[in-house]
Amino acid sequence: MDMERRDFMKLAAMTAATGLAGSMASRADASTSPPLPEQADIPGVTWDKAPCRFCGTGCHVQVGVKDGKVVAIAGDRQAEVNKGLLCVKGYHVGMILYGQDRLTKPMLRRDGELVPIEWDEAIDIAARRIMEHDKTFGFYISGQSTIPEGYAAQKFMRGGLSSNHLEANARLCMASAVTGFLSTYGVDEPASCYDDLDSCDTLILWGNNPAEMHPILFSRVIDRQARGDKVTIIDIGTRHTRTTERSDHFLQMQGHGDLAIANCIAQQLIEKVAYDHEFVEKYCNFRADRDPAEAFDSLVDHDTYVQHVKQEGHSGLFGKPITFEQYKKLIAYYTPEKCEELSGVPADQLRMLADTFADKSKKIVSLWCMGMNQHTAGTAINNLVHAVHLMSGHWGKPGDGPQSLTGQPAACGTVREVGTLAHALPGGRIVANEDHRTHAEDFWNLPKGRLNPKPGYHTVKMFEQLCTPTDQGGDIDTVWVQVTNPGQTLPNTKKLFKAKAELEDKFLIVSEVYPTATTELADLVLPAAMWVEKNGIYGNSERRTQQWFRMVPPPGEARDDCWQTLAVARRMYELGHPGFKDKDGEYIFRINDEAGNEVPYWQWEHYYDVNVDKHLFDDYRRFTFMKHKNVAPYDELVKHRGMRWPVVETEPGKFRETRWRFVEGADPYVEKGAGVQFYHSSSKDDRAQIWFRPHQFPAEVPDDALPLNLVTGRVIEHWHSGTMTMRVPQLRRAMPGAYAEMNPEDARDRGISNGDIVRITTRRGEIKLPAWINGRAQPQRGHVFVPFFDEASAINDLTIDAIDPFSKQPDYKKAAAEVSRLDQPHPYTEVVQ
Amino acid sequence: MNSRAISRRDLLFGRFRNGVRRALLPKPAVPATDAPTTAVIQGRHCLAYRGLMCSTCYERCPEPGAIAMERGIPRVNADLCTGCRVCHDVCPAPTNAVLLIKDRRAPKPQEGVR
Repeated sequence: MDMERRDFMKLAAMTAATGLAGSMASRADASTSPPLPEQADIPGVTWDKAPCRFCGTGCHVQVGVKDGKVVAIAGDRQAEVNKGLLCVKGYHVGMILYGQDRLTKPMLRRDGELVPIEWDEAIDIAARRIMEHDKTFGFYISGQSTIPEGYAAQKFMRGGLSSNHLEANARLCMASAVTGFLSTYGVDEPASCYDDLDSCDTLILWGNNPAEMHPILFSRVIDRQARGDKVTIIDIGTRHTRTTERSDHFLQMQGHGDLAIANCIAQQLIEKVAYDHEFVEKYCNFRADRDPAEAFDSLVDHDTYVQHVKQEGHSGLFGKPITFEQYKKLIAYYTPEKCEELSGVPADQLRMLADTFADKSKKIVSLWCMGMNQHTAGTAINNLVHAVHLMSGHWGKPGDGPQSLTGQPAACGTVREVGTLAHALPGGRIVANEDHRTHAEDFWNLPKGRLNPKPGYHTVKMFEQLCTPTDQGGDIDTVWVQVTNPGQTLPNTKKLFKAKAELEDKFLIVSEVYPTATTELADLVLPAAMWVEKNGIYGNSERRTQQWFRMVPPPGEARDDCWQTLAVARRMYELGHPGFKDKDGEYIFRINDEAGNEVPYWQWEHYYDVNVDKHLFDDYRRFTFMKHKNVAPYDELVKHRGMRWPVVETEPGKFRETRWRFVEGADPYVEKGAGVQFYHSSSKDDRAQIWFRPHQFPAEVPDDALPLNLVTGRVIEHWHSGTMTMRVPQLRRAMPGAYAEMNPEDARDRGISNGDIVRITTRRGEIKLPAWINGRAQPQRGHVFVPFFDEASAINDLTIDAIDPFSKQPDYKKAAAEVSRLDQPHPYTEVVQ
Repeated sequence: MNSRAISRRDLLFGRFRNGVRRALLPKPAVPATDAPTTAVIQGRHCLAYRGLMCSTCYERCPEPGAIAMERGIPRVNADLCTGCRVCHDVCPAPTNAVLLIKDRRAPKPQEGVR
């Protein structure tokens, strides 16, 4: 092991030199053809492409393999996303496979202990359990599941079990972006792409810290500045971060201040008649939660309308049309002075921001990620950012448009496109729509009526039901978790996850690569292959579908997640579950070889006799045409470092990707002469919706007893729950544990100095952490920040489980809290007494 | 209450955490020789030089002022650097960017001596 490790380090060092040799500055404008030398020529090392395992940016790496082990990683110079560059995590991505505690044997909980069992037994146990509990079974997968894994789970649940209790962790991550896109454009996913970063004049960051979370994308902009391009960066956030250090303006807001800020931009554009008349008249409608005309004879003012909606409730995700005059009357409320009061941002800065949007000569890109999505008004703020871009006409031109970022490598590919959410079917279809169900039944050759029209439980509800005793209505009793760690990442984990420990009749199946907070409560643990130990396909935030091949064998008896799903499906078929037969009585996951004989790929030794990924992906591809999300055929993806859909065949065998959707010339589905055409518009008139969304306060606001706001987030060194990155020595050394980042004045008031162990208390629990003051970032007065990567510090025990009404996504960034030194009286005991 | 001031180094090395974790963290540096050394950051290996927003050495340096960040790039102040190696041990670059070189100048001033 020592020898191998040293080899690894040596080779990693050697190749790192090539990886780092070209910075973005030197590569940005260079052609990628003819191909550059890919990587250092190291004897015995073979190289292949793969997308990075971590975030949603979708960088490509070159993976060097020697003797069945990944020994080197280099940035892929032919990849358009990263042009040879990687971030600190990316350079070490190969090491995630080699943590010392990889799970290598299936384990079953007997008398409270996990004991090793054989795979046949494990598959049989899972199959029988799901079979007996098929209506109370939930499948919880991930934005890190591959597209074929997601598609297999999709068909397993909807087709096999006629159940919609299929969810993915992207509910905690991207759901509000999805509802934002749907209600604005009628169809999900960004219209723009990363190329915009190379030509924008102004970059607006909405609660976003790309310097740490999407460093490769941010470095594209920083690099342009270094070369002399003028790019103005405007950072809107609650915390002074590394991104803020590089920004020209910092708009420091209170929680939910973004709603007021965006509304203020709209108000100013209208008041100064600075909105883009032509764009709005040709391409936009106005929309709100309810049609004021149903209750009022004349134009209604803001307060009356908000009160009306509060009483009557909203009228669904797609809302009701309102007139421009009505919109104008409602938005007039959001003057800079009013918005200063609501957001905490000085009116002058708000005017500056509005003037930026009013300037048509500027090219503006807005970026956002968790700050806007993990928000109890997440759908609303997504709508508003689209709205200010649409109104000002900063839309659909290179370098000019809103771009939502994702946190996971296949949140778009697997969750949003394959539709692994409780209400969805592949390719933008929904279970509630009879036509959509019929499509899926026809594609899958299932009898009519096999698909269940009733949406399943969303993530928070699914785990709430799992943690509720069966006799008290907890009607989820079995959950299978793949490629994610809900034990650490769900909000309010004591209530939504840890409570399961007390419930004997509940059964948790976990496919994992390392022991996690989730396997701790698992009844059955299935060791999984990860990243280049299996074939896979991801889809990044700019609609880019990326394929890779298995390059090394998984350790011990670890096996592909996709195989696990298919093996359980096969076992259930053998046990006689009727759902796993199509209408002709054939197995629903049947794969034939070239001679037409069935391949027994459910036996592990035969799994790679065929390329199961290719079969599943090309099967899934048929679903993608309806909403014009055409993914490229598998064989085409093999040749590329990802392709951005819609990918259309321009002539036989030639495929073209799309950079800007809905824009004539770039998107092949826009009619000639249309300019911009929102061809999936929810109002069926090819127009996007400009929403009126009133300001609202967070679900939990600080009060006298708990006067601080707890914000959770990420650090550059670690990715999500740290399952992978905490096992990379360089990353763990660089950031070994969580901390409580405090504002110096808040710390001084409480007698806290740097390094003191403090107690953070919320209504749900408490945690002890060292305080870090004047460190990497600084929260504003009244805020405390804690990263969530550290398994030893379960910060999500403290977060709230309130959700957005449309997207059902929770808010991890607002919880009333108090911080005290350990020798101070416990703050919350005073509250309860 | 023990109000001993805790250095940033103690804090971030996780001295307060459980033993398992501590075992995985870098050992306190033991200079190989008595000769004083100084850290030098090699730009060609350093992530910050590539616009990749790394400031780990700066954050974890136990000597105030020994490493400063200038426009996102760490610079060592050789007069204040004690050669303790912490920056070398925590550097997360694929090829360690911190070189410890022998300090050939006059011995560093001792504490309290001007």
